[in-house]
Amino acid sequence: MTEAQNQKQPLLSVRDLHVSYGAIKALRGFNLDVYPGEIVCVIGSNGAGKSTLMNAIMGNVKKQSGKILFEGKPLEGQSFQVVTKGLSLSPEGRKVFAPLTVYENLMMGSFPVNDKEKVKKDLEWVYTLFPRLRERRSQYAGTLSGGEQQMLAIGRALMASPRLLLLDEPSLGLAPIIIKDIFKELKRINEEGVTILLVEQNARQALLLSHRGYVMQTGQLVMEGDAKELLHNPEIQAAYLGTGKKAH
Amino acid sequence: MDTLIQQIINGLSLGSVYALIAVGYSLVYSILLFSNFAHGGFLVIGGYICYYTLAAMGHNIWLSGLLAMVGAGVVAILVERLAYKPIRERTNVTLYLLIASMGMSIVIENIFVVTVGGRFRALPPVIPTDPVNFFGLATTSAFDLLSLGMAVLFLAALQIFLSKTKWGLAIRAASYDLRTSGLMGVNVNRLISIVFFVAGLLAAVGGIFLSVRYTLYPQLGFITIKAFVAAVIGGLGSLPGAVLGSLILGLAEMLTAGFISSQMRDLVVFGMLVLTLLWRPSGLLGKQVSEKV
Repeated sequence: MTEAQNQKQPLLSVRDLHVSYGAIKALRGFNLDVYPGEIVCVIGSNGAGKSTLMNAIMGNVKKQSGKILFEGKPLEGQSFQVVTKGLSLSPEGRKVFAPLTVYENLMMGSFPVNDKEKVKKDLEWVYTLFPRLRERRSQYAGTLSGGEQQMLAIGRALMASPRLLLLDEPSLGLAPIIIKDIFKELKRINEEGVTILLVEQNARQALLLSHRGYVMQTGQLVMEGDAKELLHNPEIQAAYLGTGKKAH
Repeated sequence: MDTLIQQIINGLSLGSVYALIAVGYSLVYSILLFSNFAHGGFLVIGGYICYYTLAAMGHNIWLSGLLAMVGAGVVAILVERLAYKPIRERTNVTLYLLIASMGMSIVIENIFVVTVGGRFRALPPVIPTDPVNFFGLATTSAFDLLSLGMAVLFLAALQIFLSKTKWGLAIRAASYDLRTSGLMGVNVNRLISIVFFVAGLLAAVGGIFLSVRYTLYPQLGFITIKAFVAAVIGGLGSLPGAVLGSLILGLAEMLTAGFISSQMRDLVVFGMLVLTLLWRPSGLLGKQVSEKV
């Protein structure tokens, strides 16, 4: 148990979550807790159900059964209602609005925020985190490089002033050096008070960044624990990190 | 020379009315990705509301025009809620929406046939149609200049709405990716209602001018076919494309009518459609923003 866990109630709790797409079961009883101030990652291979978890939290897919609690209260409604409660998602594949400018994309992120001063402050913060976005603010998002688009997707999610930032595969399709840059900024975002939950196929980077990790396999939780411990666990090394000796 | 300038003004005037219809149609297309065939119905509803309120409440075109616009906008929202929303909540296949819109088009047309009858009605002379001398260059009618002016005004207002307001930005974002705009905190159902309201409102303005030009009857909505053609020529889903396509179409129609024969105008219109589809299937200004992977 980390210090954070001892003191506070979880910011986000997922309890026995089941989600199906028709006959296909994507999540079969998943459990997860995120405490305030933490960075938590869910790792797992392609198709394990990681994105489904994110979409279920955001109200984008219907859950079959189970509970999702945010600050102790059930998280219900469609995604546009969920965003107003203090969590936002940087979706898989970035999904920036290609025909809008960088600035307009960020303004879309601040849609649920009505306080103009707050929007101004958040914009300044995002530009400080990602100076590249300030340089390119009047450029169309579709003309940005993959790394810049990922920065924009994260910045756009931050514009909603979330207490919990959800990140779906922020390293997808990016060069290792750019991944490093982006993860450095994620650490900084966390240090400035935003709790982070990320799902990643890039297990090494995710575990290096996180405080705690969950391992997901075919929609189920197979292991959880301190990120450092997971990083050195021989089974995890063999299955997700491609290093170390085979576990058997 | 006189005829040329006169026909150009007439063409721009007709084209700008097409543009009012095409822009609303294109706006709906850009969000929900289907051809809303009931769009012509919105235009007819606007026309009839204007006709009856003019008769009932004194001949005040401004008041009647406003009522027609709001009325058609509200009906457009209702059509979406009743006929399209239940479908789009169940499936992503837009073909069903297309079929539903054909059905709604027939429903709206026949509501007017059975209630007010199919005969042709002329709006009372509330919009001046006197000949006007255009800077000594040509003679045109006040009506043509008025409809051109009003259309430009409404299109400019739409442009300001889309580029300067929060919901305008949301509509532009949603026309690229509706689902992700929901993730940004946009109530997608409300956004779609706003889009339909705007489309209905603009169609009503077009409907009033068309009722003066051609008289009002339940099948007047078929003129929307021309606006569809204009939107396709300009590039489906692109608003500047819809305006450009409409102006080109209006000019082509009027120049054909003035210099060749009035009977040839539809031939030219649909000929242009065929050529566009052959040479540039995405239209003149079709969505072309490329995205790096």
